[in-house]
Amino acid sequence: MTAASRQFRALLLKDLRLELRTRQTAIAMVLFAVVAMMAFQFGFGFRVDDTTPLAGGILWATLALTAVLGVGRSFVPEREQRVLDGLLLAPVSRNLLLVARAASVFVYLVVVEVITVPLVTVFFVQDPAATDFALIAVVCVAANFGISILGSLLAAMAVFSRARELLLPVLFLPALLPVIIASAGATHAVLGVSNDMPEYQGYVLFLLVYAVIFALVAYATYDHVFDD
Amino acid sequence: MTETGPGRSIALWGTLTAVLSTAAIVGAFLVAPEDADQGIIQRIFYFHVAIAITSMVAFAVAFVAGVLYLRKRERRFDEIGVVSIGLGVLFSALTVLTGSIWAKASWGIWWQWSDPRLVTYAIVVLLYVSYFMLRSSVDGERQARYSAIFSVVAFASVPLSFYAVRVAQSFIHPVVFTQSGANMPNTMLVWFVVSQVAMLCLFITLLKLELLQRRVDQALGELKLRLEASRPV
Amino acid sequence: MSSGADFVIAVYAVIWFVLLMYVVLLASRTARLSRQVELLSRLTGLHDEDDEDAGAP
Repeated sequence: MTAASRQFRALLLKDLRLELRTRQTAIAMVLFAVVAMMAFQFGFGFRVDDTTPLAGGILWATLALTAVLGVGRSFVPEREQRVLDGLLLAPVSRNLLLVARAASVFVYLVVVEVITVPLVTVFFVQDPAATDFALIAVVCVAANFGISILGSLLAAMAVFSRARELLLPVLFLPALLPVIIASAGATHAVLGVSNDMPEYQGYVLFLLVYAVIFALVAYATYDHVFDD
Repeated sequence: MTETGPGRSIALWGTLTAVLSTAAIVGAFLVAPEDADQGIIQRIFYFHVAIAITSMVAFAVAFVAGVLYLRKRERRFDEIGVVSIGLGVLFSALTVLTGSIWAKASWGIWWQWSDPRLVTYAIVVLLYVSYFMLRSSVDGERQARYSAIFSVVAFASVPLSFYAVRVAQSFIHPVVFTQSGANMPNTMLVWFVVSQVAMLCLFITLLKLELLQRRVDQALGELKLRLEASRPV
Repeated sequence: MSSGADFVIAVYAVIWFVLLMYVVLLASRTARLSRQVELLSRLTGLHDEDDEDAGAP
């Protein structure tokens, strides 16, 4: 058990240290998220007087697209510097590789959310309440589990394919639609004047179920991705 | 004609499909009573829903084949998976098309975002079309393995998509459309079951036909290789 | 009422059309297979002639 947690720490630190040195992925993700939000505003934000009902949707459509970008990016050093070959030779369980990969995607997503969520409330929400942030943070955490687990599984397959940059969004986004629906719904339920708690709880529960189901799928299949 | 093996079984399934689907069309249009609410439009139901359910059966078959492939690594499971998903995409695309026409007929619009089934099928088509993108960008044994993994992932996300769309709609529009339901008279139910069985037979026939074609293709390829190897240079 | 019938006809026409297009697809695949068989049978014919030529002198 301690060996596994030590390996996990080493794998996660490797990713984060690499990222801290270059800061490439996180900065690109944040920039992308801000531009995407502006695109939504210019696309349809002008057509309505109050953008508060749109804020949840804008936030999660943006975050889903950003997640696809980040997940795809997180595998690039593995491939370019042949890190993965070394990792696969090391006596580390494949599922631990998945967990470590998902954890580093999770961290990326948190970094992006810390910047994006306040921006969305500033840009699109009239009169945001402080308690809303805590509730949205819960949605973010619940959604991040599902996004990072499924993203790590699909990206591991996409990285070995020919059209990987093209393939990952095509594989990942349709499967992410339920997350967008539920997390936008939960965010929408608590933003604005009235907090609809039953609706909010239903959506958060759904996000957790989503994460559990794909965790099981990933656990059952991840071994086979590297089975060469 | 003395067909043996796969040829005969395809002929049998094909005949069964022809008989049953003809019976289902006759039943749906001439025998079954007119629906009190929807009138003639309700007659879309018999094939639309049967095709929709058949496409889910096809994806379930591909899911099972995917699991079996990952366990046993036998090529035939990969073939069953890819053919099944191809047919499932065909059937779910048909479901979306006919569902859209039905939406126009009964609600006056071609697309109704608040109908969870229609929207789910559109998502499902997207999901499973990307299966073929994955397949075309990987080769060899890895292609079969990744396809099997993705058929499991996609099948897991079908109920999640359906549930998410449905829950989202129930918060916004509390009215749930019931066009099938338990209130269907028995005479309608009988003809629905006939067309459902007919569509399942169609699926089995096409599945067997495509598997046979793949087998011939493969045998020809091997023959060609052997011929090239034995050829004096 | 009549417009309702139009839609029903449209639905069944779409199903009919798509299934027939599928048959066309199957036919084109079968045609490819038959071309391959022809090619192979020609190749085996050449193969035999080659053998005869080699054994002639």
